[in-house]
Amino acid sequence: MSAEIWQITLFSLAVALASTLLILPIGIAVAWVLARKNWAGKTFVETIVMLPLVMPPVATGLVLLKIFGRRSPVGAWLYDRGVEVVFNPKGVLIAMAVMSFPLLVRSARSAFVEVDPRLEQIASTLGAAGPRIFFAVTLPLAWRGVVAGCLLAYSRALGEFGATIMVAGNIPGRTQTLSLAIYSFVQLGQDHEALTLLGVTIVLAFIAVALSERLARSKIKT
Amino acid sequence: MLLRCRIPLSTFALEVDLALDSRVAAILGPSGAGKTTLLEAVAGLRHIESGEIEIGGRTLFSSARGIDVPPRERAVGYVPQDPTLFPHLSVRGNILFGTRNAVSRNGSTEFSLEHVVALLEIGQLLDRSVHHISGGEAQRVALARALLSRPRLLLLDETLASLDIGLKERILPYLKRVRDELAVPMIYVTHNTVEALSLADWMIMLAHGRVTAQGVPHAVLTSGAVLDEIDSGLENVFEAVLIDSNADDGRSRVRLESGTCLFIPYTPKPLNSRFQIGIAGDDILVATQKAENISAGNVLEGTIRGLDIAARQAILRVDAKEEFYVRLTPTAVRRLALSVGVNVYLIIKTRSCVILGG
Repeated sequence: MSAEIWQITLFSLAVALASTLLILPIGIAVAWVLARKNWAGKTFVETIVMLPLVMPPVATGLVLLKIFGRRSPVGAWLYDRGVEVVFNPKGVLIAMAVMSFPLLVRSARSAFVEVDPRLEQIASTLGAAGPRIFFAVTLPLAWRGVVAGCLLAYSRALGEFGATIMVAGNIPGRTQTLSLAIYSFVQLGQDHEALTLLGVTIVLAFIAVALSERLARSKIKT
Repeated sequence: MLLRCRIPLSTFALEVDLALDSRVAAILGPSGAGKTTLLEAVAGLRHIESGEIEIGGRTLFSSARGIDVPPRERAVGYVPQDPTLFPHLSVRGNILFGTRNAVSRNGSTEFSLEHVVALLEIGQLLDRSVHHISGGEAQRVALARALLSRPRLLLLDETLASLDIGLKERILPYLKRVRDELAVPMIYVTHNTVEALSLADWMIMLAHGRVTAQGVPHAVLTSGAVLDEIDSGLENVFEAVLIDSNADDGRSRVRLESGTCLFIPYTPKPLNSRFQIGIAGDDILVATQKAENISAGNVLEGTIRGLDIAARQAILRVDAKEEFYVRLTPTAVRRLALSVGVNVYLIIKTRSCVILGG
């Protein structure tokens, strides 16, 4: 593999990893709140969280572009502090994070729902406070669902195309990810590079699916 | 201890007003009477519409004064009917869960790990997964877990477990040890009248969310209103010492606290070992004359001290040095002309005497 292919692959893997780590704590918190709490506007919040899953990625990308563009209040505020998102690797990160967030939340949420609330109640009668109950009881019992959600989110981030190209563009060596590069190479008729990247994505997809299958199997065993 | 609360349930409201001054209070009543709800309310796991809960001079809940102490600060140990052990932790991990917060809750040093583990005989289970222990063991682990959090009050819900778990696995002997050695006040929900009799010094009957009777167990149990509600077997429980054993005869002999001796089925236990034996109140025959040539191993002479007849059953309390409860049909009582003060013989088959607690 050429240096260019390596750079594209490692860049994609690294940003997808960063995006997954970024959404992990927020995703767990949102999943837990959705699983355990009830309030008036819950359906609205659920809908907002799940929206990127059903909206065309390009449309989501446009929304992000409008939010983080320099002419929007958010974008201007960030630009004044030296943070540029649009056409920048940070844009790739944000596009990946937003697009993969619902998958993590869905998986983690159903894992939290499956944890018997009686166990949490008993833990409280034993003197445990909220954070200890969460970290010593709830999370250890839901970890498979959380990890499966991370895997899904990571795979989704690696495959992200539409939102990324809107927010971050397709700048070789700067914002070009695996998916964007395959598209470019095909457009430019560089079939060899396109097929090499195709091989890379197949290997990565294979690993992700194998891991999640293994996880699902270990769940059945216990 | 003051328990006054109103909790609306789906078809009726739980309304109790109890002032307890007992070591062990047993709550009996039919399924769906609100027994578990009451325990959950005391533990702080159930919303109380109005009322007041005070334990050992400390107010845990008061709707009037706006007090609602969260469950983790109540120092109330709760053992639900399904032991609800943490499935991802070992037995040791489970019972140590509450120790971290324990010292601040109750300064007593009785509740050491070694002591509780020895008392409940769970030492050999400590490193096992909770998936690989029996129902009775799981109950003891749940009890140990609650005890090691050093509670000021223990709430035990036994309603279903006592039906699922075999006689040998019963938690009763362990509860007696806890009562006698750790001196934690207990509220004990059960179906089994004899468990309540042998453990409790106060008995509360609950039906449709109301207290229908309360008092010292013997008085409550033999009142007519309560007799109708008893649907589980009436069982007699005695402390026994093994004094003789003969495998060829197929029987062993025990001495009860009063000195009365009974034949029981052969047990390989060493002489002088102590255990409890149970005799179902339905398994005791009553005769007004001494019977000759019968196969039963035990015939005890005694006097009827109490007789309660309800529509379907009669409960006889017989003093034969030990106190025996016998359940008969009202017809049998009439036919033998049984009444208080009458001398009777209790005929008990050897095989009707069962060793409790393995």
